[in-house]
Amino acid sequence: MSTTTFPHRPVTPLRSAAAASVLDEPEQTARFTRWLVPPSGGEGQRIGVSSLQVSGITCAACAAPIEQALRDVEGVIEASVNAAAMRAAVRWDAARTCPSALVEAIRRAGYDARPDTAAAAREGRREESRQALWQLFVAAFCAMQVMMLATPAYVAGPGGIEPDLQRLLNWGSWVMALPVMAFSARPFFAGAWRALRARHIGMDVPVAIGIAVAFVASSGAAFDPKGPFGSEVYFDSLTMFVTLLLIGRALELRARHRAAEVFEGALGALPETATRRLPDGRTECVGLARLCVGDRLQVAVGEAFPADGHVIEGCTAADEALLSGESSPQRKVLGDEVVAGSVNLEAPVLIQVLRAGADTRHEAIVALMREAQTQRPASARWADRWAAPFLWTVLLLAGGAAAVWSVIDPSRALWVAVSVLIVTCPCALSLATPSALLAAANALMRRGVLLRRLEALEGMARCTRLFVDKTGTLTEDRPSYIGCEPWRAAVCDPQALLLQAASLASWSLHPLAQALSAARPAAAAAFYWQALREEPGAGIEGEDAQGRLWRLGSERWVAGAAAAPADAGDDGEPGLCTWFGLQGRPMLRLRFDEALRPGVAAALVALQADGVRVTLLSGDAPHRVQRMAAALGLDSAIGGATPEDKLVALRAAQAAGETVAMLGDGINDAPVLAQADVSLAMGAGALLARGQADAVLLADRIGDVMVLRRLSRRCLKVIRQNIAWAATYNAVCVPLALTGWLPPWAAGLGMATSSLLVVGNALRLRRVD
Amino acid sequence: MSLAQAPKATVYDDLPVRWFALAAVLWGVVGMLVGVIIAAQLTWPELNFGIPWFSYGRLRPLHTNAVIFAFGGCALMATSFHVVQRTCQVPLFAPALARFVFWGWQAVIVAAALSLPLGYTQGKEYAELEWPIDILIALVWVAYAIVFFGTIGVRKVRHIYVANWFFGAFILAVALLHIVNSAAIPAGAMKSYSAYAGVQDAMVQWWYGHNAVGFFLTAGFLGMMYYYIPKQAERPVYSYRLSIVHFWALIFTYMWAGPHHLHYTALPDWAQSIGMLFSLILLAPSWGGMINGVMTLSGAWHKLRDDPILKFLIVALSFYGMSTFEGPMMAIKTVNGLSHYTDWTVGHVHSGALGWVGFMTMGSLYYLIPRMFGQTRMHSVRAIELHFWIATIGIVLYIAAMWIAGVMQGLMWRAVNPDGTLVYSFVEGVKATYPFYMVRLLGGVLYLTGMLIMAWNVVMTVSRGRAVSTPVPALPAHA
Amino acid sequence: MDILYLLVPMSVFAMLGILGVFAWALRAGQFDEIDVVGEQILAASDAMPGAALDPDQGPAEQATEESAGTARHRHRSPS
Repeated sequence: MSTTTFPHRPVTPLRSAAAASVLDEPEQTARFTRWLVPPSGGEGQRIGVSSLQVSGITCAACAAPIEQALRDVEGVIEASVNAAAMRAAVRWDAARTCPSALVEAIRRAGYDARPDTAAAAREGRREESRQALWQLFVAAFCAMQVMMLATPAYVAGPGGIEPDLQRLLNWGSWVMALPVMAFSARPFFAGAWRALRARHIGMDVPVAIGIAVAFVASSGAAFDPKGPFGSEVYFDSLTMFVTLLLIGRALELRARHRAAEVFEGALGALPETATRRLPDGRTECVGLARLCVGDRLQVAVGEAFPADGHVIEGCTAADEALLSGESSPQRKVLGDEVVAGSVNLEAPVLIQVLRAGADTRHEAIVALMREAQTQRPASARWADRWAAPFLWTVLLLAGGAAAVWSVIDPSRALWVAVSVLIVTCPCALSLATPSALLAAANALMRRGVLLRRLEALEGMARCTRLFVDKTGTLTEDRPSYIGCEPWRAAVCDPQALLLQAASLASWSLHPLAQALSAARPAAAAAFYWQALREEPGAGIEGEDAQGRLWRLGSERWVAGAAAAPADAGDDGEPGLCTWFGLQGRPMLRLRFDEALRPGVAAALVALQADGVRVTLLSGDAPHRVQRMAAALGLDSAIGGATPEDKLVALRAAQAAGETVAMLGDGINDAPVLAQADVSLAMGAGALLARGQADAVLLADRIGDVMVLRRLSRRCLKVIRQNIAWAATYNAVCVPLALTGWLPPWAAGLGMATSSLLVVGNALRLRRVD
Repeated sequence: MSLAQAPKATVYDDLPVRWFALAAVLWGVVGMLVGVIIAAQLTWPELNFGIPWFSYGRLRPLHTNAVIFAFGGCALMATSFHVVQRTCQVPLFAPALARFVFWGWQAVIVAAALSLPLGYTQGKEYAELEWPIDILIALVWVAYAIVFFGTIGVRKVRHIYVANWFFGAFILAVALLHIVNSAAIPAGAMKSYSAYAGVQDAMVQWWYGHNAVGFFLTAGFLGMMYYYIPKQAERPVYSYRLSIVHFWALIFTYMWAGPHHLHYTALPDWAQSIGMLFSLILLAPSWGGMINGVMTLSGAWHKLRDDPILKFLIVALSFYGMSTFEGPMMAIKTVNGLSHYTDWTVGHVHSGALGWVGFMTMGSLYYLIPRMFGQTRMHSVRAIELHFWIATIGIVLYIAAMWIAGVMQGLMWRAVNPDGTLVYSFVEGVKATYPFYMVRLLGGVLYLTGMLIMAWNVVMTVSRGRAVSTPVPALPAHA
Repeated sequence: MDILYLLVPMSVFAMLGILGVFAWALRAGQFDEIDVVGEQILAASDAMPGAALDPDQGPAEQATEESAGTARHRHRSPS
């Protein structure tokens, strides 16, 4: 049985620094390095551009020494460090250096670095948002210029401007509309093209057709006023229309990017590398991709287990809260299975790999999640459903109008058709829903609720059942210390002992010890300890300055019994406890509890009052789950549930016709979240679940669920209003356009006003009550 | 690491900055003195003395050119050279050219000071200087652009601070405006005819005139504002994002506001209407800048109590807001029908000139000059405070007098009897405005007094200080 | 209003030029991370090495302690 001796100073638990050399393996390097094509085209220089995440940066001035250290490495061509983002970008020559040298250089400078594997995705997002900004700016800017050149035509009376001058102004408008057509409007044309190639109608099709026809006809009118296109130009309506649409798209893009950043911002659940023990006793550092079944891996304290395996040497406890929602550490002794992604808490162990890579339970959960997602009941994309018949109607009407008018008055035929196309251009329709959804999303984001899928708003409004996880969702992530008292007539000063216990606790990584130490942070350095020893499953002991041995841990062990397979303290006690005392004499009992997050009771009451049935669904011990549900006044509770059990419960509710929302936290919740109609994740919870959830409560306030529901209701109301307006507007204006009563400028103006009205109505949602 | 041990460190090239800053103060006094003289001449015409080169007609353009191009121009050149070096962390590009810019510009000013009283003029407002001087201006301006953009080109900081965008736009726009508007056909050593004629010329002139206000007097000074207010208040700009948005919004709306100078003239009606419309639209981006600058002090308003330099800078912004509101109002045709050709226009100009341009220059120079001479404060901070209050009272008197006079003139000129004849003869209107001219003169005298106090303060600061070289930082800040 | 034959094409080309400048600015990353750049001008001190010379003035706050290079290390950390 291995024991661990500690240095004479508490240290913050660190992941053990992986040997940098593993980064030189080609598949590892590729995860954070982009290769540049050598300019000469020859096989000579191969230049890599690597992104590294740097730790230890405390201010902007830290950037310079790190850059200098990198530049001093032979083979580095260029290095730049962004202190605020804590990232380094290094350009290096593959023939003269390697990534491990870069990391070593940074370490020598007194900092640390790891690969920034999210760099590629981040670059992609940056390019995307740059492109969107560029397109929007060009459209807005040109629209403004076109407006200036078009105003004289509106303002002057008939004959006020000479025809030549008018043609000059039209030419100017045409030139300014070119960048909009060729560049800013590209997303619409590309989208329409894609949709048509896939033989289905998307919202981009009517937009693209409207823009194209208006531009072609206006160009004709600009250059040949006496020709078939007449003499009226509509570059101003056209460019304004494109600008409005692009604003909507830019907002949507920003929301999407923010969500992606949240996902990538934190560290991954799995480590980069593993330490493999070779038959001759030496160890080597390998990337995860190279692990095989049967490999023996050393896992240090504080590291995450790199693969599923069983313990073959040593014993420890593992924190599987990320996976199972269990708040107490799971003991792992010889032969016990460990799960990839859980954290080794107490002692270094040797494990033998059972499943690695894609076969681990962790990866299986991810796969389950993805599968559940594709089977997820799709929210109605009714805007697209309506687009096809709508488009055909519009085209038919326009074509019909042109045909009829070519008989009555040929010179007006084309412009009547254009008017029909523009006025019915389903911008009001296409903006009605997205603008409301986006305004609501933005309002929520400011409140701390990150909406990743806008359809969640619809689901939330119709929700009738909410399943809630317990650990980390309703309760805080870690147990919290609640009090202490002398144990069984021990004569002592509880407060003094408490401080001493907290000081001893600061040496242990056990969640209860961490909670105790956090409750009395000043105590850590106040007492002197030596000969520290942590006994897995029992507790921690140490000698004080006088050489007396104190113990902190389970009652029996503090009382002097040998370390024995102890139960987790669930012997009828109402909560979690630990004891402190001189060896043989437990003197102080310390009590912990999982603290409910503030506002939980009130929030759940409000939800139930609003017609949502709330069910507590947790993997934790059933008696604890039932107790909490009763205390909160919930309708029902299911304890001891595995992920599969949770999925079954959800599906049952859905089969009964309920609209189901799920609020969860751990990775084990992830497939369940995907099954729900609306998935909500706590902001402090596991990364993966966050990434797939429809909405993330960044502020960890349960009350935000109610906020979300109220806003969703308002949002649906606004959407209905918008649709009603758009329908009425079309019903009135289309006949007017068909009968020739609506010149294109009026059609454009009407269409623009209608869009603005719709957007304005949507903006009312920005107020969150 | 001290200066002595380090290898010869690069230093900022502050010589042109120093010269321009001192020149600005000098020409400020001169320009305002001429302003006081012509205000006195309007009040008491006998002060023309019958001497042609002392007559109001010739001195007025000398005043406008001196305050705009000599005072304002030197201040812009001083501050733009200072700001571009500090924000790019490199010394000036082409230092010899920078010195040429200084001497060339002083030559332009002196040429103006000589030629205008001598009666040589092209007759176009703010563009009176004859063609040889126009050519010199163009040469100096090209050199200015090379120095400024060259410095940006060799910068060590990747991000170009927003103030430099404003300065850059100002430089380029003024180049375009000057070259187009000053196009003329020479007919003698100091005589030329405009390349344009009649109402076409008027349109070009006021396209130039209003954009000169927009880029020379607004964009340029906004550049000053975006650097010196954060530096003096020791707080960053309130919203950097807003500053960028407002910059782009401003430069593309300014181009078409010119016709509002030509309401009810031979200019076609639709052109006048556009001028009105875009002048109104201009309100938004202008106020964006004002809000951004004023709110920089948010959370630190108490600094205004004790710091007279901040008073200058923030009050400048208030006058900017006022003028950019008043301007669009006056651009409305019906309002313009009352205000055109009256003293209200003069009042509007001077609230912008004395309040925005003047105060912004003074505040910036009060920050800049001590630091150019090895100190952190002017010789007397109380003198700054005194200057501020005297000048503010001066401005208030000036614009109040002009508002009253202007509205009164407008009303009197338009008053008609039932039978259609005018109620008042022109001279009656003149008589009625006389007392307000005196008040305006007093206001101007106060403002000039403030400027003289500044000049004294500057002289004391410079004589006690010494010109020091500031090293360029070895490790540039990260962008 | 024949002058518009000059003014309109001129402003159109000027606008295209401005678009080009904006494109360059965007590609050169001028609009990245604009939340922190506003603070950078404050980090650099404008104080001169060497003390104030006027006995009437108090000692300049920063002038005495600055020397080449060290001035720049007093960066404010971007918040």
